[in-house]
Amino acid sequence: MPSLFVLTPFLLLVVVNLPFKFLRKQIALWPAVGGMLVAQVVFSTFYPLNIGRGIADPFEQFFMFGLSLDSLSSIMLLIIGIVAFVSVLVASSMISEERQVFHFLNLILISVIGMNTTVLISDIFSLYVFVEITALAVFVLIAMEKGKFAIEGTFKYLILSAVASVFMLTAIAFFLMAVGSTSFAAIKDAFASNSSDAFLLKLGTGLFLCGLLIKCGVVPFHGWVPDAYSAAPASVSVLLAGVVTKVSGVYVLLRLFGTVFILNAALQNTLLLVGIISICFAAFASLTQTDFKRMLAYSSISQVGYIVLALGAATPLAFVGAVFHFFNHAIFKSLLFVNAASLEKRLGTTDMDKIGGMGSKMKVTSATSLIGLLSTAGIPPLSGFWSKLIIIIALFSAGRPVYAVIALLASALTLAYFLSLERKVFFGKVVASPAAETKASFGITFSEVLLAAITVAAGLGFAFILNTWLLPLKEIVH
Amino acid sequence: MTENILIAMIVIPLIAGLLSLLLPKKGCGVFALLAAAVNFILAVSIFNKELNLTFPWAGFGMAFSLRLYQFSGFIMLAAAFFGLLISLYSLSFLKDKDYRRQFYAYLLISLSFVNGAVLANNLVVLLFFWEGLLVTLFGLIVIGGKQSFRTATKALVIVGLSDLCMMAGIALTGYLAGTLVISDIHLGLGSLGGLAFILMAIGAVSKAGAIPFHTWIPDAAVDAPLPFMALFPATLEKLLGIYLLARITLDMFKLDAGSPLSIVLMILGAITILIAVMMALVQKDYKKLLSYHAISQVGYMILGIGTCLPAGIAGGIFHMLNHAMYKCGLFLTGGAVEKSTGTTNLENLGGLRAKMPVTFICFFITAASISGVPPFNGFFSKELVYDAAMQRGWIFYLAAILGSFFTAASFLKLGHAAYFGKSRKENKDAKEVSVFMLIPMITLAAVCVIFGVFNYLPINNFIKPILGARAEGHNFTGSSVNMTLGIITVLVLLGAIIHHLMAAKIMGGGIKAAEHIHHAPVLSVVYRWAEKKYLDPYEVGVKFVKIISKLLWRIDRGIDWIYESLTPSAALFVSRTIRRMHTGYYAVYIAWSLVGALLIMLFIFR
Repeated sequence: MPSLFVLTPFLLLVVVNLPFKFLRKQIALWPAVGGMLVAQVVFSTFYPLNIGRGIADPFEQFFMFGLSLDSLSSIMLLIIGIVAFVSVLVASSMISEERQVFHFLNLILISVIGMNTTVLISDIFSLYVFVEITALAVFVLIAMEKGKFAIEGTFKYLILSAVASVFMLTAIAFFLMAVGSTSFAAIKDAFASNSSDAFLLKLGTGLFLCGLLIKCGVVPFHGWVPDAYSAAPASVSVLLAGVVTKVSGVYVLLRLFGTVFILNAALQNTLLLVGIISICFAAFASLTQTDFKRMLAYSSISQVGYIVLALGAATPLAFVGAVFHFFNHAIFKSLLFVNAASLEKRLGTTDMDKIGGMGSKMKVTSATSLIGLLSTAGIPPLSGFWSKLIIIIALFSAGRPVYAVIALLASALTLAYFLSLERKVFFGKVVASPAAETKASFGITFSEVLLAAITVAAGLGFAFILNTWLLPLKEIVH
Repeated sequence: MTENILIAMIVIPLIAGLLSLLLPKKGCGVFALLAAAVNFILAVSIFNKELNLTFPWAGFGMAFSLRLYQFSGFIMLAAAFFGLLISLYSLSFLKDKDYRRQFYAYLLISLSFVNGAVLANNLVVLLFFWEGLLVTLFGLIVIGGKQSFRTATKALVIVGLSDLCMMAGIALTGYLAGTLVISDIHLGLGSLGGLAFILMAIGAVSKAGAIPFHTWIPDAAVDAPLPFMALFPATLEKLLGIYLLARITLDMFKLDAGSPLSIVLMILGAITILIAVMMALVQKDYKKLLSYHAISQVGYMILGIGTCLPAGIAGGIFHMLNHAMYKCGLFLTGGAVEKSTGTTNLENLGGLRAKMPVTFICFFITAASISGVPPFNGFFSKELVYDAAMQRGWIFYLAAILGSFFTAASFLKLGHAAYFGKSRKENKDAKEVSVFMLIPMITLAAVCVIFGVFNYLPINNFIKPILGARAEGHNFTGSSVNMTLGIITVLVLLGAIIHHLMAAKIMGGGIKAAEHIHHAPVLSVVYRWAEKKYLDPYEVGVKFVKIISKLLWRIDRGIDWIYESLTPSAALFVSRTIRRMHTGYYAVYIAWSLVGALLIMLFIFR
């Protein structure tokens, strides 16, 4: 039933835009979008448990491109569902104006359609198209607040995405020349058979990689990340950091370089180098940031570095670790951005020099942020520990001990910058009292608790998750 | 049924010791005396019996196995005798001390452990009680006062370290012999056997207080309660240490007169005699002087046993018994002087002969015994040792006889300074001590005389049965002692008296009679080093450890600086540099991306 994941949001989009006044009432809109996303979470969660599989897809003929649902896509759909749901929850408590709500929901539905299709599709050109659709919706979402920084952030993202598009389109052209088709299966065969033009394939791979690395936002392609993440409105930054860049960049990287292309030694080394440089560089950079969201942005770059690093190890175990870290990172980074949204809503700023001693006033936010950052830093038994552990073990067993040790040491840096954040924001002296004694909204508090609970549960039930959802991934890695 | 007496020998003093902690301070002394008396009666009742008792304990061959025979019965009897005398003496000596309860508790528990160690017929059981004595040793020193904690620690470290050697020796012995049952162990002195013997011997001689394991004893003489000195370094530790040394040389290992280890033991004995007696000679404190003699006399016992000749072994064990008698007695006279005058500093003492006549007579007899004056007991045991030493080499005999000369000299000095001469104003109120303190002293002095005059009594009853087959055909009693050596001894002692009289006249006063030795050209340097504790392995070790720990502390600070200052500032520097690179111009970011893409393409097509 993969087409339902595309058609349902599409139908909802059509319904939302029907010219009936009562439908625009936000009371009806929020639950509709939220409910759709919950349904997506539920379906994708039970996919690996063999429920609903084997039913013929009656809508398949509507699509020119093939959709296929496998273990990797189902995890991606789950992540998209969770994070988009949280983003909608946060937005529901941050945005109140009716027109804004209407715009926001339209755009988020478009981006969900784009991302869902991206993870289901099995054709490299269509994949590019849906990545662009997602990006377009998100450009507008970032700029929705119309401030100077929002425009600047959007613009940087837009320009660098354009550069990425150029790389990726050129690469697709090369693939078409070399293979004669753009479907994954054909490209995979071409790599395996050695019958096609090796030079063109190599060129295409390299260019596509560069484009994807811009989309991932890893060093040295990361220039847009801090600005875009910190300029976006709170609910959008959750979506952007949690899934958009992850799906349009990291997922595609995992899909293509993990299951379609064959990684030769040069590519492996490239990925390892880019990964380790990202980890260290961004971790150092976040050490002296004074803005909560910018620090999170650099931390994101660093964490994506772990995923790229694991991919570079090119073993099934490393791939499993990369996907697990993908999941964990989406959850805890969303959690931390929700924490930032909570602070922003309460205090009107995320500048850490102006915040202090909020621990006693915002108990849920401070407790959940502690869980989020400990998970990021890889403290047992939280989920982030297990994924980092798998990655480091995989690096060792792949014969890359130096990278493993550096990655391990960089975890200490992660802990350092997050502890300094925690000390400044939640402990220490109260610097500024809240502008208004607003009560924390239900949407934000609920998302914080939900995401923290997932982090803790994924850490404690790590063995079950690994066996049920992650180990099937080994089958699709070549 | 009678086997259970062995258990009672261990359990009764132990329970009594624990009980005495609960009793009121006034009653606990009497209670301890009664318990010690019971212990003594039990020891007498089973003396000369042979009993075995074994029941399972820790597994792996570590059965709780006890064996009573001639030797262990004799040691236990002696220990119980001294325990009884000391508890009687302490009744008066410790009258007003706050630590009475703890003292009696430790005393009784020590007696229990001594009984256990002596009866043990399994090496692990032996080690268990042996180490247990370390605890009571520490406790007895530490109750002495503010300064005593340091000394107690020193004793604990020194004895503990040598006990570690013994533990290793026991493990090795058990491994070599394939059994832990002491009476079944008969090992040769092969390469590993020799090592096991040395390790066990270190445990034994350090318990007895031989050089270089002695240095805590003079410190304890100053800090610890006096009855402790009379009980532990003077008697119980000698009994145990020499008992074990005799066991390992006689039964467990086959040490022959030709063995190099025999020479090692004899050298150790000779060195211990000479160094300790030289140190004793220049002491100016009653108790400290005695404590050095407690070390010096061990040398005779080790020398005697080390000769591996029947006469030497008999002499060594007999000397152990005699030494326990007179050294215990001497310490008790020291305690009487301390109780009466409040000091043991010889410079503040004098003329006590008239004021404390009974104490003086006891001192005179015991001092004569230790100096080896005939017909007191020390003479006969020393003659046996001399005889055996002479057979093994004149150099050992020379060391032993020289030791005798200095022993006599130092006791002449002590007696002269404390009991003769002018009465000092500091001790003009001194008077004879209570009868409870006098009885033990008189008893000991009397035994010294009896064991001297009727020396066949202890030798035939106690010593000869221990040697068993080795003693056949030998006669160790008075008449058979080598007459030539006896005459030499008497001449040496006369020489010591003449030397003392002349020196005292020239230097002016009994206490200064040894000053010329103190200031002799080479010796004065050695003495100065010794007084600054340069020659104390423990103090040197402590200093060395302190230097190492200071060094490590510096290194630690250095590492800490790397963590505390260098790493964070380096990280912050890198971080600020990176931050400055992010100028916010998208053109720069595009440039980075393009350069990155170029590098990646170059890398892939390399």
